[in-house]
Amino acid sequence: MVLWVLGLLCCVQAPWAWAGDEERKLEAVFIGRFASYIEWPAKPRDRFVITLLDDNPFGSLLDDLYRDKRIHNKPIELRYATRLEQVGETDALFITLASSAARAAAIDHAQRNGILTISEAKGFAESGGIIQLDFIEQKARIKINHGAALKSGLRIGAPLLTIATVLRGDKP
Amino acid sequence: MSAPHRIALCLALAGAGAALAGGKAVQETNDYYRRPLEQLLEVETQAKAAVGSRGGARDALDAEVPIDIITSAQLQTTGQPDLQRALAVLVPGFNAPRPSITDGTDHAPPFTLRGLSPDQVLVLVNGKRLHQSALLHNNGTVGRGSSGVDLATLPLRAIERVEVLRDGAAAQYGSDAIAGIINIILKGYGQRSQATVTYGRTGEGDGITRQGTLFHTLPLAGDGFVNLTAEWRDRGATNRAGPDASDGGRINTHFGDADTQDGLFALNAELPRGDATLYLHGLYDRRRSSAGAFYRTAGDARNIAAIYPDGFLPRIEPKILDFSATAGVRGVLDDGARWDISYTHGHNDYHFYVNNSLNTSLGLATPTSFDSGATRYTQQILNADFSKKIGRHTVAGGYEFRQEHYRIIKGDAASYMLGSADNFAYGAQGFPGFSPENAVSASRQAHSLYGDLKYSATERLMLDAAARAEHYSDFGSALNGKLALRYRATEDLLFRSSVSTGFRAPSLSQSHFSYTGTYRNSNDAAAQFWGNFAVDHPVARALGATDLKPEKSRHLTLGMVFQPSSQLTASADVFVTDIHDRILPTGYISAYSLSSLSPQAAAVLAQNNIDGAVYFTNAIGTRTRGLDLRLDYSSELDKGARLKLVAAYQRSRTRITELNQAPEVLGVNMTDLILDPFTRVLIEGSQPADAIKLWSRYSHGSYDLVLNLNRFGKFHSVSAYDRVTFSAKWTLDAELCLRLAKDVTLALGGVNLFDVRPDKWGQTDDSLVGAGKVIQYSQYAPFGYNGASYYLRLGVNF
Repeated sequence: MVLWVLGLLCCVQAPWAWAGDEERKLEAVFIGRFASYIEWPAKPRDRFVITLLDDNPFGSLLDDLYRDKRIHNKPIELRYATRLEQVGETDALFITLASSAARAAAIDHAQRNGILTISEAKGFAESGGIIQLDFIEQKARIKINHGAALKSGLRIGAPLLTIATVLRGDKP
Repeated sequence: MSAPHRIALCLALAGAGAALAGGKAVQETNDYYRRPLEQLLEVETQAKAAVGSRGGARDALDAEVPIDIITSAQLQTTGQPDLQRALAVLVPGFNAPRPSITDGTDHAPPFTLRGLSPDQVLVLVNGKRLHQSALLHNNGTVGRGSSGVDLATLPLRAIERVEVLRDGAAAQYGSDAIAGIINIILKGYGQRSQATVTYGRTGEGDGITRQGTLFHTLPLAGDGFVNLTAEWRDRGATNRAGPDASDGGRINTHFGDADTQDGLFALNAELPRGDATLYLHGLYDRRRSSAGAFYRTAGDARNIAAIYPDGFLPRIEPKILDFSATAGVRGVLDDGARWDISYTHGHNDYHFYVNNSLNTSLGLATPTSFDSGATRYTQQILNADFSKKIGRHTVAGGYEFRQEHYRIIKGDAASYMLGSADNFAYGAQGFPGFSPENAVSASRQAHSLYGDLKYSATERLMLDAAARAEHYSDFGSALNGKLALRYRATEDLLFRSSVSTGFRAPSLSQSHFSYTGTYRNSNDAAAQFWGNFAVDHPVARALGATDLKPEKSRHLTLGMVFQPSSQLTASADVFVTDIHDRILPTGYISAYSLSSLSPQAAAVLAQNNIDGAVYFTNAIGTRTRGLDLRLDYSSELDKGARLKLVAAYQRSRTRITELNQAPEVLGVNMTDLILDPFTRVLIEGSQPADAIKLWSRYSHGSYDLVLNLNRFGKFHSVSAYDRVTFSAKWTLDAELCLRLAKDVTLALGGVNLFDVRPDKWGQTDDSLVGAGKVIQYSQYAPFGYNGASYYLRLGVNF
C-alpha cells in the first residue's frame, strides 16, 4: 500500500525545484539584477531576451520569476538553447557549458554581438566572460571582466562594479 | 474512510502541498529580487557536500543520505586547539575522550562516531583517503585494539568545511566507512590570507596554550590558487591527578593532557589548464609530546633508590611524524564526462622515547633515557575516477590500487632487555621498548573496482545504486553494495533511505602487532615471555589464532528533511548498523587467568616459557541503533544583525548480539576469553548514550557572539567487575569576537565556562583509581576533566 501510494505520488508532476536551493534562487535573481545595471547599445527589440546555453539547472524558476518583471522597461523573454547555433538575438547569455572550448566559442559569439555573458564556471571572467558568479563558503561573489564588457559594447554601472571583483587586465 | 478514499486524500494533500510549496519558492526568489545587491551577497546559501557522491558537490540537505556540514566559522569559534576537539563539541555522536596514563594513546587520542570503533570511520581530505596512525591503542581506552586517524595533524585554519556522512558507505569508498565518513575540505579558491595568534589556559592555571597560524593564499591564473598554512601549536600539560596515599599523600603523578608541541603545515593548490586542473594537497605534522606513566615511589621494587631517592615518574615522550600528499589531475571531456586521476601517499611514524626512567634489571648501569622503538605505517593509493551525466542520471565508477606497509622498529637494547640485576622489572619503566622479536615489516595490496548509478526516476524520486568489488592480498575479496532512495514529497519535504553492506579490512597493526616482554621470578627456570603476539606467530597459532577476516556490516538508514522556509531546516534519521566478526584482542590467555584453559593450551604456554598471551581475533557481532535529529535556523534581524542556530541530537546504543566460537584448542568459550565485564562495558557502554549540541552565533556589525551548549550523555565504566555509571553533563562554551578594524578581530572566549567536571569515581578497592586517589576521573570522560579554560585570539586578514 505504502509503495503504491509512493508510486502514485511520483507521478504527481508539478513544476518546481527543491526549495532549499538558495544558490539557484540567487543565480536566477542575479541574472536580471545584473542586467538592470548594464547599458546595451540601442537595439530595436521590444523584449529583453535572456538565453540559457546548455543545461537548465533552474527548472521553471526563471520562468516563474521573470514572468511579471521588466528590464530596462521591457518585458522579459526567456529562451533555452542547447547549442551555440541555437542562440539567436539575445541580450544576456547564461552559460552552463562544461567545456572551456565551448565556453570560449560562446564568449566570442557574445562579444561580437553585444551580449552580456554570465557563468559560474571557474576562470570564466579571465577567459573573456563578463560576469562570473562564485559561491565561496556559502556566499555569492561577483567577478567582472570590465575590459570584456567594453569590448562587447556594454557599459556596467558603478553600483555593480563596486560590489564586484573587477578584472581590468589579464591578471587574476 | 475506505482505502481508495484515503489514497485519494493523500494525493490531494500532496498535490496541494506541492503547489503551495512551489509558490513559496517563487515568493522567496521574488523577495530576493527586491533586495539591494549588497544584501544578496550576504545571503547564506545551503551548504554543499561532495562526500557520498561521485557526481560532484550537491546540496547537503538534498542528498539521499544524511550529511552534516561543519563550517570553518563553527570550527574556528569553538576555542579548541585542534580539529578533533573541535568536532567533539560540534558533531553529536563524535566522541573524543582524553585518556591519560595510556602510553601512546595520550599523545594521539582516539575518536569515534556513533559509539563504534576509531577504525570504523573513514577520513578523507578533499575526497581522498587519509591514512591512519601507526599507533595501536593498546590500553584500556575507548578504541582499545584499533588504529585510527589522528585528526590533530591538520591545522584548523586550513579547513573550509568538514562533511560528516552519517551512513555506511563502504560500497562507495571501501574499507572503514562503517560508522560514517569525515570528509575534510581544505580552503580553496577565493580565500583571504589570515594570521592568528591565540593564548589560553585553564581555570586552574595549567594547560597554557600558545598557537600561531599563518594562512596565505596566492591566486593563480584561471582561478587557480596556492594556499599555504603554517601553524605552531604549543599545548601545555594539565594535571588532575589526586594524592598518592602510598607516597605521603603528595601528588606525584600526571593525569591530564599531555604537554604537546605540533609544527603543522598544509598545502592546497589547483592549477587549471583548459578543461583540466592539476591539483595538489598535502599535510605535515611534527609532534613532540610528553606525558607520564604511573609513579614509581622510592620504595617501589621497580625503583633504584640510588638513582631516584624520592621515586620517579617515567615520562613517555614520543616523536610523531605524520605527512600525506595527494597529486592529481581532473578534467572534463567535450561530452561533459568528468575524470580524475590521483596518487596519494600517507605516512605516520610514531616513535616512542622514554625519559626520566630506568631499566631496573640493569642495576646502576641503567640509562635513564631510552629509545623504545617505533611503529610506522605507510599508505599509497592510485585512483582513477570518472562520472558522466546522462540526462537527469549520473553514472560513475573507478579503480583504486592501495598499498599499505606496517612496521615495528625495535628499540635500543636497554629499552627492552632483561638484565641480571633484577629479574622482575625488565625494560624501560613506563614503556618497555619493542624487542627484536617484535620487529616486523608487513605489507599488502588491494585492488578495487566500483560503480555508481544515480537514476532519477522522476524529478521527485532518485535512486542511487553503488557496488564495489575489492581484492586484498591478505584476506581475499569483498563485494559490497548500496541502494539509496530520495523522494521529494513536496518542495520542502524530503524522505531518504538507504540500505547497504560494508566491511572493514583488518588493519595491518591488528594482524601484525607484537609487543612482548620478559621477566623471571626466582623460581622460574627460564625467562618468561608475556604480551601481544601477532596472529601469525607460532605461539599464537598454537593457541588457536587464525588470519583475521574482515569485519562485515549491514546498514539501514531512514530519514526525512523538512524545510518550511529557507531559514529553517529540520531533519530526522534513524539508523541500524550490524557488524559481524568484530576484531578484538583476546583476554590474557594464561593458566591462572582462565581456569578452564585446556591442558593442551597450558602446555603450549609452558613449552614456550610464556606466562600469558594475547592476540587479535574475530570475536563478536554487534547491533547499533540510533536516532539523529537536526535543526538549522538563521534569521536576519534589525540593523543588519544575524542569528544562526544549529541544534542537533543523537542517541545510539550498541549491543553485543553474537559471539563467535572461541578457538577449540583453548577449551574456553568466547565469553571467558574476551568478554569480561570490562570489555563488555567498553563496547556497549563506554561512550555517551546521547548527545545534544546547540551552537548559536549572533552577528552584529562590530562583533560576533557565539554560544555552544553541549550535553554529553551518560556513560559507563567498570570497577572491580562492577559496572559504574557516570552521569550526563552540560557544558557551555562562549566566544565574543570584536571587529577592531575592517580586517582585525579580537576574540575572548571560554570553554566549559561553568567549570563542569565529569563525575568522579566513587569508593573503590583499587589502590590508584577511586575517590581521593591518584586517578579520580574515568578515562572514558567524553569532554576530558580539565574544567574551564579561557583564551584570547587576535586575527588579521590581509
